[in-house]
Parts: sequence; structure tokens; C-alpha cells
Amino acid sequence: MPVAGRGAFKKVLIANRGEIACRIAATLREMDLAPVAVFSAADRGALHTRVAGEAIEIGPAEAAASYLNIPALIRAAKSAGAGAVHPGYGFLAENAAFAAAVEEAGLVFIGPTPDQIRMLGDKRAARELAARARVPVVPGAEASSREALGAAAAQLGFPVMVKAALGGGGKGMRVVNDAAGLAEALESAQRLAKSAFGDGAVYLEKHLERPRHVEVQVLGDGRGGAIHLIERECTLQRRHQKVVEECPSPAVNEALRERLTFAAVALAQAARYRGVGTVEFLLEPSGTFHFLEINTRLQVEHPVTEWVTGRDLVRLQIEIAMGGELPAQPSIEWRGHAIEARLYAEDAAHDFLPQAGTLTRVAWPRAPFVRVDAGVESGDAVPVHYDPIVAKLIAWGEDRASALERLTRALDATRVQGVITNLAFLKALVRARAVQRAEFDTEWIEREFLPEFSALISAPAPEGALAAVALAELLGVGAAGSHGARGADGGAPGPNEPLAEPFGTLGRWRLPGLE
Amino acid sequence: MRTFWRDGGRTREVEVAPASEGRYRVTVDGAAFEVVARRLGADRLELETPSGRFIAEISATGERRFVRFGTLDFVFTLEPAGRRRAGAAAGGSLEAPMPGVVTRVMVASGDPVVAGQPLVALEAMKMEHLVRAPRAGKVREVGAVVGAMVAGGVTLVVLESDATAAD
Repeated sequence: MPVAGRGAFKKVLIANRGEIACRIAATLREMDLAPVAVFSAADRGALHTRVAGEAIEIGPAEAAASYLNIPALIRAAKSAGAGAVHPGYGFLAENAAFAAAVEEAGLVFIGPTPDQIRMLGDKRAARELAARARVPVVPGAEASSREALGAAAAQLGFPVMVKAALGGGGKGMRVVNDAAGLAEALESAQRLAKSAFGDGAVYLEKHLERPRHVEVQVLGDGRGGAIHLIERECTLQRRHQKVVEECPSPAVNEALRERLTFAAVALAQAARYRGVGTVEFLLEPSGTFHFLEINTRLQVEHPVTEWVTGRDLVRLQIEIAMGGELPAQPSIEWRGHAIEARLYAEDAAHDFLPQAGTLTRVAWPRAPFVRVDAGVESGDAVPVHYDPIVAKLIAWGEDRASALERLTRALDATRVQGVITNLAFLKALVRARAVQRAEFDTEWIEREFLPEFSALISAPAPEGALAAVALAELLGVGAAGSHGARGADGGAPGPNEPLAEPFGTLGRWRLPGLE
Repeated sequence: MRTFWRDGGRTREVEVAPASEGRYRVTVDGAAFEVVARRLGADRLELETPSGRFIAEISATGERRFVRFGTLDFVFTLEPAGRRRAGAAAGGSLEAPMPGVVTRVMVASGDPVVAGQPLVALEAMKMEHLVRAPRAGKVREVGAVVGAMVAGGVTLVVLESDATAAD
């Protein structure tokens, strides 16, 4: 791809942390660009600072004073001599003021223009743009007063969704079933929106019955040209937070793909979109789809698209930022199926409350067609201050069944100790019959899976596991401080893989989700 | 050696008695069986149990033990033998289930509460969590202050003992 326009750069500041900062650094190195990491006081020595080689401390633990501190980030970029800034996802990735500050400082922002971030980040403006591009939107209503929103909700018909105008990633969203619950939901949504997004504006959307979440990966050159990298399906969500994502969508056939991608590209063209973005849709069981929102950044779940299309989305972001041409649409091909599971530091047995602490042991699977995007190794800390995502496990297969089989094995081979994670939840989820058959909707996890999972996870542990912990205590095995230093355990499953599968051999106890 | 372990919502009692070289008699909640155990380095055990042979990987954080048993993972918390029943009986202290910022305190000392009533709201990572009354009763003490950052496990509200509670 020829490099021109906004200009070349040799060094890139990564304004993020954790797994995504590590992942971006990997592509930068491959492109012979030098990554510069930033870190808060809570992240001294974190993996993303170790893989970058050069790392700059930007402030105290609180995100507002560090990873959200625009002047500190600009100072760090300047002092390191970086020519560009990659925002990752979360934090300032969809903050127009940050993109503007980067450009005002004479640096390249690897992402859309500040105006595009501002306009598309306002869900109400994005809905207007979609309507102008003749893309169907979810029926909804805006109003400034709670009384008017109440009347609009009655007209739309309950249930309705209350959403933050500047929200994203499922934050600040509430489902309301009747007029009685609306006032409290509006109050709570407005307060959360104000604190999380700096603007308390909310709007209403009709709550669709049992939809699937399908999104199209788009790329724009900023000059009106746009292409797509087919769709992803992210229907497996818990409280609007994606848990497992895949590419392509098992619910999309070639004819529907044609219509979805056409609509998404039309939107990107209408916005003269620059960079990598995602157009999200809700898909009804009838096959009707509605525009939901545009995410003007790299998505958490981008690896599934990368694997199926063979395209590095971070590289494409950088090439677009350098003013390069987009690949031609006919050159985009796809093959097989990829599925990702998000490993979070949260306690599935206790309402998924976020967890923090020091990881005593981390070991990732080593298997063909398995990719792990991780932000931690053994000995690393999971701080309390940030999103609890620890890693993503991605598996590829010639078809969906083989990809899911590989992901299941990869999850079984994963070891994370010292901090409670959702690993057991993920293991049970990928084994659920509805997941294997791809028969689910965005509320299936909460409506059908969680009640069953909660019952099974609260079953007593097998006697053998209790014998193990008591014997370990007696023999001084695994005592605090006996674990290797950082990385010493190095993901070593060791030569002593389990000698017997405990499934089905433990009497009344069984693995949650196994049928 | 007798130890008590918190396993989810229950306490498990485990007695381990060495029988012969590498051989142990283990009793879990009254059920006895024989186990052959072999150390595999600092944090790994090989176990022969009546259900089969397993590798167990164990690491400790405070009183918490992370146990990988075969391909399954468990978290147990060591309970001091003398205190193991105290926690369940008192039940009046409501602790912060996660680190966060107190955003709302909805009760004051002396207030009557009903089961399920929200008492304190915590916010962390843009998520709100409501601490609710586990039963009807009366508030004895409120430790939570709006705007305060609290660690997980900190006592937020104490209810009067439930001797007089109707619920």
C-alpha cells in the first residue's frame, strides 16, 4: 500500500493498557514501528509496559488521572518523540476531544476524525445518518423531559430500552417493562451517563423480542471510499456485555450478508468514514435487521474477523492513518469460522462482581489454531481500577463445530489462579446445547443459561478436590510464596497433563453444562 | 490433621491421616477413602483416588486456595476451626462484595428494613451494585459514607441480630 497523505511515522504511543496494548504493540513491531507504552501507578511493570520496551508513567491509578488524562498522554507522546497515537478500545478511543488534541499537537490520530467521533458517538445523530442512508433503525424516541419520554415510551409500547446518548459497550443501558419502572430507570441511566460519559442525555428504543446481535466490520479511507470485512455475531451477551463472539454469523446467509454489508458500507460512505469501524445491527428472527450504532474504533472482538479474512485490522488502521489506499473489496475473502471467548476477572458465582489481586499462576493453551490475546502473565496484578478483561481466547476451524471444539479444549487447558475469573462460566457456556446449535438471542444467557449455571456451580466440589487442598496444606504444596517468580511457571502445563478426566467419574458431582 | 474449607455456600470438613509412605486416609464430610499422594514440584500433586488419578495444581493467596483438579478449577477458603460457625450465625454484617465507590446510602441507624430492601449502592467500573437486606430487621449501624472508596469485604451496614425478626 503506498504511503502518502497524513504522513509516515516511526514511533507510536499506545494510549491504553492490558491485552489490547500488547496486541497493538505486536503489529507495530511487525511493521518496524516503535511502540511506546504508557502506564498508571497501578500498572508499574505491567505486561504491556514490558512488551513495549519504552514506557512512560502518566499518572496515579485512577483512570481519570492517567489513561483518561489527555494532557499527560500528549506530553508523553511528545517527550517520546512519537509521530502517532493509537487509542485502542475503551478509555479515550471514542473521545473526540482526545483525537482533536492529538491532531493539534501535530501527531497522527490512528482512528476517525474528531468530527466523525463526535457525530457517530452521539447515538441520536448516528440514527439520523442511518435513516438518511436508508438503513432501517430500531424504532425509538428522544425527548428532553422525563414526562415526554414517558409519553413516548407508552406510544412505542413496553418493554423499552433506556440508553445513554453518548454511551457504548452496553454501558448505561436499561430495559424497562412498564411505566412504573420508567422513572427510576431514567434517573439511574441519566446519573450513570453523566458520570461515565460526561453527558446525562438518554433516549428510548423499542425493545425487540429475542434479537441477535450482528455487526459489520467496515473500513473507510476518509475520502468517501469504504469496504467491509463481512460480519461478526456477538449475540452471547450478559447484561449487554459481549462474552463470546464469532465470525461469520451462523444466522446470516449469503443473501442477508449482501443486504447487511451493503447497508453498513452505505453508512460508512455517507459519513466519509476514516479508519476501522463497526456498524452494529439487531437481527430479528424474521430476518429483519435494524441499525443499532456505529463504533468508531477497533473492537474487542476484532481477532475473529482477522482470522477468517486473513487481514490484520491494526495494520489496516495504521495504513489508513498513513493515508494509504483501502484493499479492493473483491480482494477480501473469508474462510472457515473463528470464535472468541472473553476471560474476565469476575466472580460468576457472585453476580459477576469484578475481582482483583495478584495472579499466582497463568498458563495459556498451546494448541493448533488457537490464539490468546492476553494482558497478563504469572505474577502480574489485576488492578481494581480498570475494566476486568484479562485475556481473549480465539479458535479457528474449517467450520463452526470444529472452531467451537477447539475453543472448548483451549478453555479446558487454560490455568488462571490467584484471582477469580469467569473461566468456569465460559467452559459451561461453550458446552451448552444452544451454543453448539447457535440457537440463542441477546438475552438467552440471562433468561435460560444463568439459572441453570447458578444451580450447577453451587453444587459441592468433588471429594477428590478437597482431599487435594487438604493434602497440599499438610505437605506444604502451593503455599503462599512457593510459586515461581513472574513467568517462571511460564504457562507450563508440564509433562503431567491430567491422567484421568474427572467428568462423569465423580458420582453426584458433574461439570456444569455437560449434558 | 483436620481442616475446614469454605466451598461456595457451605463448609467442608476434611481430615487427613498418614497411613503409610505416600498413603493417606482422607475423610471428607464423614466419607472416608484412601489416597496416594506424590509431590510434583512446589505447587503440584499427583493423586490416586478411588475415582481415578489426577494432577492437582494449587496456589494460595491469603486464606484462599486455588485448586485445579484435573481440568476443573475450584476456590476454597481455609476457615479457622474455632470461627467456622460464627460467621453463619451472626449474619448481621453486610460487607462490600467488591471494591468500589459508595454512591448512595439509603438507610440510617435505627431504620426498620424489609428483606430485599436496597441499603447501599456501590459503583465500580461503571457498574452499580446494590447491597440489599438479606432479611427483615432493624439497622444497628451504618459504616458507609457517600463518596468513600471502599475495599471488598469492608462492613457497610450492620443489622440488629435477627432474634426478633419476623421474616
